[in-house]
Amino acid sequence: MPANTYDAIVIGSGMTGGWAAKELGQKGLNTLVLEAGRSIDPAKDYCEHVPTWGVKFRGLRDRRKELKTQPIQRTCYACDEWAAKFFVNDLENPYTTPADKPFSFIRGRHVGGRSIMWGRQTYRWSDLDFEANAREGIGVDWPIRYADIAPWYDYVEEFAGISGQAENLPQLPDGRFLPPMAMNCAEVVVKDAIATTWPGERLMTIGRCAILTRPHNGRMACHYCGECHRGCISRAYFSSLNATLPVALATGKVTLRPYSIVHGLNYDGQTGRVTGVRVIDAQTRQALEYRAKVIFLCASTLESARILLNSPTSQFPNGLANSSGELGHNLMDHAMGSGASGMIPGYEGKIDVGERPNGIYVPRFRNVKTKSPFLRGYGYQGGAGRSDWERGENLAGFGVEFKRSLKKPGPWHFDMGSFCECLPDHNNYVELDRSHTDAWGVPILKINCAYGPNEKALLQDAAIAAAEMLAAAGARDIQTFVEDNAPGLAIHEMGTARMGRDPKTSVLNAYNQAHDVKNLFITDGACMASSSCVNPSITYMALTARACHYAVEQMKRGEI
Amino acid sequence: MKRRDALKLIAGAAALPALYSQDLFALGRQIHQQLGSATAPKTLNPHQNATISAIAEMIIPATDTPGAKAARVPEFIDLILTEWCTGDDCGQFINGLAETDARSRKIFGKDFVGCDPQQQTELLTALDEELTQLREANVRGRPHASAARREVETPVERNFFYVMKRLTLIGYYTSEVGWTKELGRPPVHMGPYQGCVPLADAPGKTNAS
Repeated sequence: MPANTYDAIVIGSGMTGGWAAKELGQKGLNTLVLEAGRSIDPAKDYCEHVPTWGVKFRGLRDRRKELKTQPIQRTCYACDEWAAKFFVNDLENPYTTPADKPFSFIRGRHVGGRSIMWGRQTYRWSDLDFEANAREGIGVDWPIRYADIAPWYDYVEEFAGISGQAENLPQLPDGRFLPPMAMNCAEVVVKDAIATTWPGERLMTIGRCAILTRPHNGRMACHYCGECHRGCISRAYFSSLNATLPVALATGKVTLRPYSIVHGLNYDGQTGRVTGVRVIDAQTRQALEYRAKVIFLCASTLESARILLNSPTSQFPNGLANSSGELGHNLMDHAMGSGASGMIPGYEGKIDVGERPNGIYVPRFRNVKTKSPFLRGYGYQGGAGRSDWERGENLAGFGVEFKRSLKKPGPWHFDMGSFCECLPDHNNYVELDRSHTDAWGVPILKINCAYGPNEKALLQDAAIAAAEMLAAAGARDIQTFVEDNAPGLAIHEMGTARMGRDPKTSVLNAYNQAHDVKNLFITDGACMASSSCVNPSITYMALTARACHYAVEQMKRGEI
Repeated sequence: MKRRDALKLIAGAAALPALYSQDLFALGRQIHQQLGSATAPKTLNPHQNATISAIAEMIIPATDTPGAKAARVPEFIDLILTEWCTGDDCGQFINGLAETDARSRKIFGKDFVGCDPQQQTELLTALDEELTQLREANVRGRPHASAARREVETPVERNFFYVMKRLTLIGYYTSEVGWTKELGRPPVHMGPYQGCVPLADAPGKTNAS
């Protein structure tokens, strides 16, 4: 094989790139994985066991530095004093927005991508989700249904290891679960109250998450240190770095090249195929090219769109594989930041032990059995805990008694926040801003995205319904909240290269294959035709494994 | 779980895999040791440093466990003033310190550090009561404000004694001494998660009688 030529190229090494690398490598393809950022060495870079006195500002973060170099990234809770190094430098990675449409673009650029800092919540979609666009005449119909993806959910869950409780809900299918984590005292109170007050309609379950509750596939069980976003030396939570990439590299078929910024794809108008990728070496600034028979774009929803928009050809002047004109459009995130909190009386003599890196989940109940004046619905995440010494700053007192009182845990509080489904809208889109480039000379994105009336109605309703549930549980001092967050902050951005049945209105077919370019697959969040209200990563993983299987079958048949 | 108390770690480690018997805490210890012995404050002058040391020790005094001074809270506050504060944060704090002295001179004819313990307690009690009133007048300023609005300080957050108390608590309870000696907790939890156990079975949270 000539130099720089592979069977397959995977662009990105995060949540989906890791899966593509594993699947293609295991199927025997010589695969090159190109990662824009640096390598991560778990032994050196993971820092979940560094105590608070081991960081300079004791958890208050390096404020002056982050205000200067991470003014956007710092708005993410996980970009803390330990894990800030897993988030990009905003000065090197700029983007623009209209002044009245802010967008929070939270990113990691390193081997493993955002799978290192993700929230690890894993929920299956159902046909309530896959059929919604067709039923309501919004966006385009999904070209798949639950039955198409269900075996692939099984497949990726069995490898990744998902803990959770089966609930037999049609709108939130059960998975192949490892044992669930426990709820704490106050959570059980709220769970019981919800079950009693809304039987058959609402329920609360423990979060389903990609964290091992027993050893699994050579990875250790969680020991509840609680700071997953800083890394995990025991590999108890799923990330590409902890799980898929080691398996991919062990096949001997996969080459991983960090510091490789893909800024464009090469296209052969004669064959109608992509032939390879254009790369800038992030360290040397050298321009490189790699060739392959098939290309998997797994660079993330926004970066994948950016690469295609930056690859115009005479046939596709508005971006590669964009005959539909939908490339970059229909950007979604989950509207988040509404809910309620309250104090749960009782259980003063009890406490939870360990830092459970997971919370509770209230699955969607709006527009499931009942009908609401808005479309779709939301789920809640949250949990209970007892306040600790931090409460002292809001308490009167000082001295011996004050010190003694802070040694005891405070009352139980319960917080729940919604994740609301976002409707696909052609007017929410990204385009290239060719007047600006990033630190490597690549044109940047201009992101045009705002929530509409349906998302706002969901946020409002979710605050009230949360308060109802806390009231049913006997909570005191209930406060509702509806934050006015910009899209992007849920870090569930999706859309921009949607799947669909019709090449005239969608970018990808039912197998994540570009309608216009048969050897190009996009399997990250870009492919999504709607957003559901559940955390999306496990769906991206399942779609990626499914697309890899399909691509290899097509290659064997000589179709690709 | 982002809303949980991120710093709440409690004991419960039983048999741990061999991996954890290794020196996972080496990094933290090393950094702590690099602090070396007490360094001269960079922002606070000796008088200001003596004043915040006295106030910090009054907020968290030495009891059967070390207090704020032994946990080097004054050094932490100086670090925050020197390398963390932005805008007029630092100046505001220094002004608050000067105002405390001015009040002390007006009432007792002496700077705060020159007062006897009873006079100091009287003054701190007044500051604390004023903070309580301010808090009650500004309930729930920001817990769930949007990201942009969270950047704007509330009247409570601009109060000198609020900042002093907050920095003292953080400096103390996130120090190795505060965490392991006062709260009796190991640096990292390593064991199973138990959702609802008697306080007596949760080492570190129970030894307050």
